[in-house]
Amino acid sequence: MIRKILLKDLSLGPRSPMILWALVLPVVLTFAFRMVFGGLFNTEPRLGIVDLGDSDVTEAAAQLEGIEVTFLDDAGELRRQVEEGNLDAGLVLEVGFDDLVRSGAQPQLQFWVGGDSLASNRIILGVTALDLVRTMSAVDSPVDVSVVPIGDQGLELSVRMLPMLVIMAVAIAGVMVPAASLIEEKTRRTLSAMLVTPAQLKDVLVAKGLLGTILAILTGVMTLLLNSAFGSAPVAILLAITVGAIMMAEIGLMLGSWAPDTATMFAAWKGGAILLLFPVLFTIWPTLPQWIAKLGPTYYFLQPIFDLSINGATLADVAPQLAIAAVICVALLPIVMRFGRSLEGRLVGEAKHQRPALTNA
Amino acid sequence: MPNSALSVSGLSYSFGQVRAVDNLSLEVAAGEIVGLLGPNGAGKSTTIRMLTGQLRPDSGSITILGHPMPEAREAIQARMGVCFEEKNVYDAMSAVENLRFFASLFGIKRFDPIPLLTRVDLAGRADDRVSTYSKGMRQRLMLARSLINEPDILFLDEPTDGLDPVSSRTIRDLIKDQAARGAAVILTTHDMFEADELSNRVAFINEGSILAVDTPEELKLAHGQRAVKVRSRDDGVITEIVVPLDDPDATEQLRQAMSAGHILTIHTEEATLEDIFVEYAGRGLTA
Repeated sequence: MIRKILLKDLSLGPRSPMILWALVLPVVLTFAFRMVFGGLFNTEPRLGIVDLGDSDVTEAAAQLEGIEVTFLDDAGELRRQVEEGNLDAGLVLEVGFDDLVRSGAQPQLQFWVGGDSLASNRIILGVTALDLVRTMSAVDSPVDVSVVPIGDQGLELSVRMLPMLVIMAVAIAGVMVPAASLIEEKTRRTLSAMLVTPAQLKDVLVAKGLLGTILAILTGVMTLLLNSAFGSAPVAILLAITVGAIMMAEIGLMLGSWAPDTATMFAAWKGGAILLLFPVLFTIWPTLPQWIAKLGPTYYFLQPIFDLSINGATLADVAPQLAIAAVICVALLPIVMRFGRSLEGRLVGEAKHQRPALTNA
Repeated sequence: MPNSALSVSGLSYSFGQVRAVDNLSLEVAAGEIVGLLGPNGAGKSTTIRMLTGQLRPDSGSITILGHPMPEAREAIQARMGVCFEEKNVYDAMSAVENLRFFASLFGIKRFDPIPLLTRVDLAGRADDRVSTYSKGMRQRLMLARSLINEPDILFLDEPTDGLDPVSSRTIRDLIKDQAARGAAVILTTHDMFEADELSNRVAFINEGSILAVDTPEELKLAHGQRAVKVRSRDDGVITEIVVPLDDPDATEQLRQAMSAGHILTIHTEEATLEDIFVEYAGRGLTA
């Protein structure tokens, strides 16, 4: 029975705005976060070089780190690539360029810069090009540059945002999908239609919970894959995501059982989501007192995911936290059952404080 | 009652202080169509919800197909069909998908929905999404859904409410077919013509209580005026003669009326179910 209801819900998935949104969300969030905080479009500056005279600059450029260098044979082709935005800048080294530089003749250097390239990339490539030429010349640099790293030596902000992306994806799919699906069944009274067949309410609840769990696992995995953050322990990460997905689906079932309509569901989500999301704030801002994050149930699967994917932790390292997350899942079960019984009571009219909706006596 | 499909005794239910169903008792035999006739708010739908296990009675007992409800709910529901008043089908699914899903809930394997959809004139739109259906089409789909498991007892809540005459006719024919194959049919309606046409027996419900239960004919005979009205025209003058059939010389009066001129119409003057309901309840069915 559970399988049949689950298959029905899954088959309705492509026609359900909530399920579609849950599946699209990881992609949208990843793009949005990377656009704002950097990462997705932060490709290395791309420099194209046409060497017409076997210049030493070409050899030096090939050794550059952090810059993507492409060698072409034709200056026209290089110009076209820069114009089309395939390269950020292009450098044409004429025949005898090195000799002219060494002789102090100050030859002309053609340096094309793409109009669509990032300003930061233009600056990097401009400085790099000059540095390449200078190091080839016999003239010493007038200054000795000392590079001193300053500021927080921890992870980049874009990396620290990962738990936020994961919780948004897992929570939307895990909480909102089963809740919205259950509420839709209630308000459209298709739930009543099911409950006059041999299907029982517990079958419906378990099927909705599985729907949320499966989608939450899927969106969690998608998020990590999109961010290249699956780490070196994929099985352990999958385990952590599964525990988190179950926890979110349980909360979704409670929300769906309790809320009479989607407006109430969204209002409750707006008010209560912070209780699920707040632990990620402590990953984003690691200087905050970390013990507060441990008060949130989602911490116990988010932190393992973060440690496994970013900090190189092993399953053994995160096992205690995952065990706590599993205990939370088990502890939530009787609460979910209580919400389910309450829903059944309302459906069969035991809760008589109000007349059941849609009843035409 | 022999071949009893439904036996209800002392059924009551209240919404807070409002007594929706009050000490209701009813017997329905297999193959019988019983119409619960009453105005909106009379307690018909609440009664159906209790009989189908959607609502737990405050008191009273329900026995369906030999099993107590709600204790043997699953066993009963496997042999029961319910057509709701609300159009609660899955809009995002097609008629075929809707029926296949519900057939799967009844454990029916390799279910072919097309014959059923043909019977409700939906075979031509079988693969269209239900969201594109008219109200009548949805209602017919709901009726088809209630017949998936070839139920031994069928509950129909306002099955033709608001439908066009063609859709209503299709549904009524199908209901008669179900009774003919031996299913007990309990339908609620506030349409006296529907109740009259379909029901073997009619139960008048008002304020949660059954006021009377009998065949439509017996009710009409018991409460109506047994008379014949003859309208005729003679030299351009229309005359109307009412002949009470219980008069000792009714036959002679009728013969005179028939020879009074060119007969325009002859009507029996029996009471309608609405007249009888008003007599019992002191209010109309549409109140």
